[in-house]
Amino acid sequence: MDQVELKNWLHTQLMEKVPTNIAIIDRGFKIVEANRRFENTYGDWRERHCFEVYKRRSSPCTNCVASQVFADGKPRVNEEEGIDINGKPSYYVVHVEPVQAEGGAIPYVIEMSNDVTEQRMMQQEHDIIFDRVPCYISVLNRDMTVVRNNELFRQRFGDALGKKCYQIYQHSEETCENCPAMRTFADGQVHTAYKTGKDKSGRTVYYYVNTAPLSRGGDGTSHVIEMALDLTETKVLEQQLKQSFDFQENLINSAIDAVMAVDSEGTINIFNPSAEKLFQRKAEEVIGKNILDQFVPKQFIDTIANDGDSLLLRETWVTDAEGNQVPVRFSGTVLKSGGKYLGSSAVFQDLRQRKQLEQEKLEAERMAAVGQTVAGLAHGIKNVLTGLEGGMYVVNSGMKKNDMELTQKGWNMLQNNIERITSYVKDFLGFARGREPHVEKTDPNAVAREVVELYKDKTNQLGIELKADLQPDIALANMDAEGLHSCLTNLVSNAVDACEMSDKEDCEINIKSYEKEGTIYFEVTDNGHGMDYEVKKKVFTTFFSTKGTSKGTGLGLLVTKRIAQEHGGRVEVDSEEGKGSTFRLVFPRERLPDITGNSNKEDNQ
Amino acid sequence: MTSPSEKTVLVVDDEEEVRLFLETALTDAGFKVETAADGNEALDKVKEQKPDVVSLDLVMPKKSGAKFLYEMRKNKEWQKIPVVLVTAHAKDDLGKKDFQDVMSGKALLGPETYLEKPVKATTYVNAIKRAINIPTDEGPEESGAKAELRGLIEDADPARLKEALEVLKK
Repeated sequence: MDQVELKNWLHTQLMEKVPTNIAIIDRGFKIVEANRRFENTYGDWRERHCFEVYKRRSSPCTNCVASQVFADGKPRVNEEEGIDINGKPSYYVVHVEPVQAEGGAIPYVIEMSNDVTEQRMMQQEHDIIFDRVPCYISVLNRDMTVVRNNELFRQRFGDALGKKCYQIYQHSEETCENCPAMRTFADGQVHTAYKTGKDKSGRTVYYYVNTAPLSRGGDGTSHVIEMALDLTETKVLEQQLKQSFDFQENLINSAIDAVMAVDSEGTINIFNPSAEKLFQRKAEEVIGKNILDQFVPKQFIDTIANDGDSLLLRETWVTDAEGNQVPVRFSGTVLKSGGKYLGSSAVFQDLRQRKQLEQEKLEAERMAAVGQTVAGLAHGIKNVLTGLEGGMYVVNSGMKKNDMELTQKGWNMLQNNIERITSYVKDFLGFARGREPHVEKTDPNAVAREVVELYKDKTNQLGIELKADLQPDIALANMDAEGLHSCLTNLVSNAVDACEMSDKEDCEINIKSYEKEGTIYFEVTDNGHGMDYEVKKKVFTTFFSTKGTSKGTGLGLLVTKRIAQEHGGRVEVDSEEGKGSTFRLVFPRERLPDITGNSNKEDNQ
Repeated sequence: MTSPSEKTVLVVDDEEEVRLFLETALTDAGFKVETAADGNEALDKVKEQKPDVVSLDLVMPKKSGAKFLYEMRKNKEWQKIPVVLVTAHAKDDLGKKDFQDVMSGKALLGPETYLEKPVKATTYVNAIKRAINIPTDEGPEESGAKAELRGLIEDADPARLKEALEVLKK
């Protein structure tokens, strides 16, 4: 290889090995030579203008750097945007060097370009991230001046460039205590802090700040990048949560009802002041312990064990610390979320006061009834006096006229009225005696059947049909069987009288029993005489009787009413003149009395 | 001068004994007497034979005295028949309202007079006589302890009795 050959070979090697795009352009902007690298980037270049190849233009670029170099012979560097072989934008940095011929003419320029598309893309992405990341980002220099910030930062805190970070975040002229950025400057480490600041409109902003060192030439930390995560919304939610928690806690603490709860492990975590009062136990002795079974009825423990939902006991008993039995209405709920057991809550309503009021009301009603009775007694005496007066007159008259029949009638009148006085006094004393009811588990239908049996013969004789329609599945109830018997006897006896007073041929009496929604009903219906409005108003008035002197003192319904009241029940009446009457005894189970003499009180459920 | 023997009295009372007593007293005084046990029966009797005077109880089953009175007074022929109320319920809950309505006569012509049970035979007969303008032999009205007791009972106030009972209970 001779000298020339060697030089050409070296020239070719240089063109191909140099890690940059090389193109040689003549004064007419034609590319006269380029390396393979250039061709790989921009495609075929032979017999084409530089502006066609670089930028796919049909004419020279405005501001053409090559033409400037041709003009003054000075090399230049520029950043350009072209279109690559694939038609994609291509960013490149180009060095344009003049090729000087002897005599100073510049026939060519050499363009050496490096592709920076990748870096430009990364730069753009970085800018997007910097501006769009949901954080407030700023770059501080050593004297805490903001030299850069992102879009989100500007939106929230306004234009901050050139200002101190504490002026922006804190609206303050002094640095913050324990400033994380200052610590990063000092030790080059990442630091964090929870901070409260103010935005550009003075609204409070809660944020979590993270400071990291930035090195820009030289040793040590020249800048710090501060990234702040806005916690304001979270904080507001947190406060709302706290408020709602406080509200609920207050609600539980101020509730009149005793409230307690256990977690999934059975550990008591709520025991409100009303519960302290009801059970005579302090919350601090109870909370944290696994002793729910000391407070709630056994059924509720079973409900929890059997994966039940809730338990409501209208009336049950709990025991306080001193061993007293307290009547309560109990409501227990098993708390679940998405099928997962969270714990249980129990609410107890103290029924002592209500019980007492009920007792007092019953007593007051009884007093009123007794008062009515006494008032009625005066009227009864009046009637007896009328009878005695009349009897005496009739006896006298009969004797004067020597009329034995009349005399006899007069005697009968006197006798009747003496009997009447006797029965008044008896009934009155019976009513006033206030027999203590003897309450035991009673089959309500058994009592009804006894009464039907009792009246069967009498109604048969009178041609009255006596029917019984008793719902078979009524459970045993706490009742005074004898009292219930009196009630039904009174009602049936009244119905028999109503039938007798009626002109109807086919009179019938129906005794019905049924239970609906925890209430036991007895109905005695007759299709007899019925009552007109005035009589209906007065049926429960003492000594009111439309049956004439020979029958009843008018105490029957009053006694019935009183017995019903003693059972927490009532008597209702529907009656239509000429069509018959229905008397209804209504006994809500939850109001039925306790079993007599049973001090160990049981649930009435 | 009219005499009782020419007059018929209709005695209306639900209580048989009271009817017997009043009937005897009137018969002894010379009246003719018809009886009825309630308002319905009484109307039948009036239709059958118009009485000269009606002795009427207020509180009765089936048709009360007040209802009977209204129905009788609606009929022009019977409007003028004098009525003497004989009631034990003028002042109590049972008959007070009827009694006041009837006595005020605001609905229809009221009765001529009323008597409160218990009533003495002489007083009763005299009231009937006055109602139809027959001279009365003014006998001595009742006196002494009986009258006093009667007064006390009639004046008894149910509310007071109740109070008294409560005091006794303590």
